[in-house]
Amino acid sequence: MAEAAKKTPAKKAPAGRTTAKTVAKAAPRKAPAKKAPAKAAPRKRAAAAVVPDEVLAEVREVPGLIDAPAPAAPDRWAIEVAGLRKSFKGGVDAVNGVDLRVREGEVFGFLGPNGAGKTTTVRMLCTLLGITDGSAYVAGHDVVREPAAVRRRIGVALQEIGLDPLQTARELLTLQCGLYGMNAARATERANELLDLVGLTEAADRRTKTFSGGMKRRLDLASALVHHPDVLFLDEPTTGLDPASRATVWEEVRRINDAGTTVFLTTQYLEEADQLCDRLAIIDRGRIVAEGTPDELKASMGHDVITVDVADADSAAAREALATLAQRIVDDNGELALYVENGAECVPEVVRLLDRAGVSARSLSVSRPTLDDVFLQATGRRLEGDEEEVSA
Amino acid sequence: MNVLWLLTKRAVREAIRTPEATVPLLFIPVFFLVVNLGQFGEAFEGASWLRGQSYAAFQLPVSLIFAVIGIGSGLAMVAEIENGYFDKFLVAPISRVHILLGRLGADFLRNLVTGSVVLFIGLILGVRIRAGVVGAVVLILLAAFFGVAYGASAILIALRTGNTQAVNLASLIFFPLLFLSPNGVPRENMQGWLQVAARFNPITYVLEGTRSLVIEGWRGGPLLACLLVTAATAVVLLGLSVRAMKSYGDL
Repeated sequence: MAEAAKKTPAKKAPAGRTTAKTVAKAAPRKAPAKKAPAKAAPRKRAAAAVVPDEVLAEVREVPGLIDAPAPAAPDRWAIEVAGLRKSFKGGVDAVNGVDLRVREGEVFGFLGPNGAGKTTTVRMLCTLLGITDGSAYVAGHDVVREPAAVRRRIGVALQEIGLDPLQTARELLTLQCGLYGMNAARATERANELLDLVGLTEAADRRTKTFSGGMKRRLDLASALVHHPDVLFLDEPTTGLDPASRATVWEEVRRINDAGTTVFLTTQYLEEADQLCDRLAIIDRGRIVAEGTPDELKASMGHDVITVDVADADSAAAREALATLAQRIVDDNGELALYVENGAECVPEVVRLLDRAGVSARSLSVSRPTLDDVFLQATGRRLEGDEEEVSA
Repeated sequence: MNVLWLLTKRAVREAIRTPEATVPLLFIPVFFLVVNLGQFGEAFEGASWLRGQSYAAFQLPVSLIFAVIGIGSGLAMVAEIENGYFDKFLVAPISRVHILLGRLGADFLRNLVTGSVVLFIGLILGVRIRAGVVGAVVLILLAAFFGVAYGASAILIALRTGNTQAVNLASLIFFPLLFLSPNGVPRENMQGWLQVAARFNPITYVLEGTRSLVIEGWRGGPLLACLLVTAATAVVLLGLSVRAMKSYGDL
């Protein structure tokens, strides 16, 4: 199964930042079975990134199997956003023309620094915030014209962890079930299931104000799941959590996703995007600056990165000296990132060129590109908060 | 399960678990009643407008109104907006009006309780409700309903500003309104300019209507004016709150 191939240890293992995941992704994949209707193709998540059109082409050749042209019909996408814009009073454009397509069944990451427009985008997609311009379909429904239909199909866990401190975990979940139309008996039952799922059965009758950050986060997640949503929005689900809690949340997200729920997740942690997401988009100042699978994004970088740390005063001279060598140089406060075909081969030349320019390097290192480099290249800055990253 | 009932139940639970929000609603009216009685009780004894009752009967409606003018819902809503729990309601497939009515429904129930307690204390102090038992029930219902309508102003401010201090204004503004109304003596006994101010003050009619039930029994005029003013307050403030609720989040 493609599903199995996708979830091989390479994805879950405490992969170093440079570990290639291509092995897992390249694992043989079953062509969609004949019985699978057109919709099944985008559901095969591993296939999703690279193959879907070919797969669809294959499927389409079977007469009678598909009658409509498959791409771009809104209900094929879990989320489909075009030209989305949000201007706040005072003329701030928080989101400035975002286009996105999230496939059913994938974990889609929305990566960006604080204030990039992640939360604003999520709030618009969740029908919590009006949109200034553009269109957004979630689970096949227009967020502006059919907000009620969207609300029935989405689960939402926002950054602030919205819990009522005065209710117990059980009361909160039971109420939440009631809001989604369950009767009292079913609500009680579902609340118990969820408490069990997120490991809060023992704390179920305590008021949530006594909960730790991790417990709150888990309860919040549970409350977003009461109605088995098709699409789950998680806005910075691990910000402020300790490493252990963060790993628990990651596990939880994988489990939810394995059960078929599309996950749209915002994060400012590269490691999180790398570990959890099938595809991701990088947003900066309200615009999408890069999009693809983590591997695609890294591969798009040119091959290696040579990082040269020089004194600030020397950085201009160093840049000039090295200009001919690299495909691209990004200067981040005296730390030059050189994107080159083959890092190891270039090192002597880098040293020679710097020497000739009279610049001494404080340090010099060669690495495979990481999402950090992708981010740096796309935005010209490093992602703040990166140092808080956790290796799961 | 009916969503409106669920939301009301939740707000009631919240009120029970935050007695610090309800206790002032009982303390202030009882305090006013006792202190005013101590100050003016003897001076006004036998006044014709008391119709043989003690001054406590004249003051009881003032205390009743104090007991139902709660801005707790507005404050709770600000807290909810700030901690993000509010978003859970907004993102659920429920009517936004129900979110509002759930809170106000709980307010109504709370007002029935605080209003009854104040009435009971009045009875202990020797006040008799001339309109009888039915009159007493109408008295409490009127007060409770007016309290809900007034409380909607706090919710309106909460939705528009999301700011605790701003919501507190809703309770602050009640004091000038009260002191520009016939809260201590009948309107005819007030100075000219104050009479004019009182004429344009909705609190005047609420006090006079409820007071007529206590002191005079069933009288159509003041009661009708009280009903109209209460209904108008409700229509305006609830209407604005519903609108603020529906458009919340730039929708």
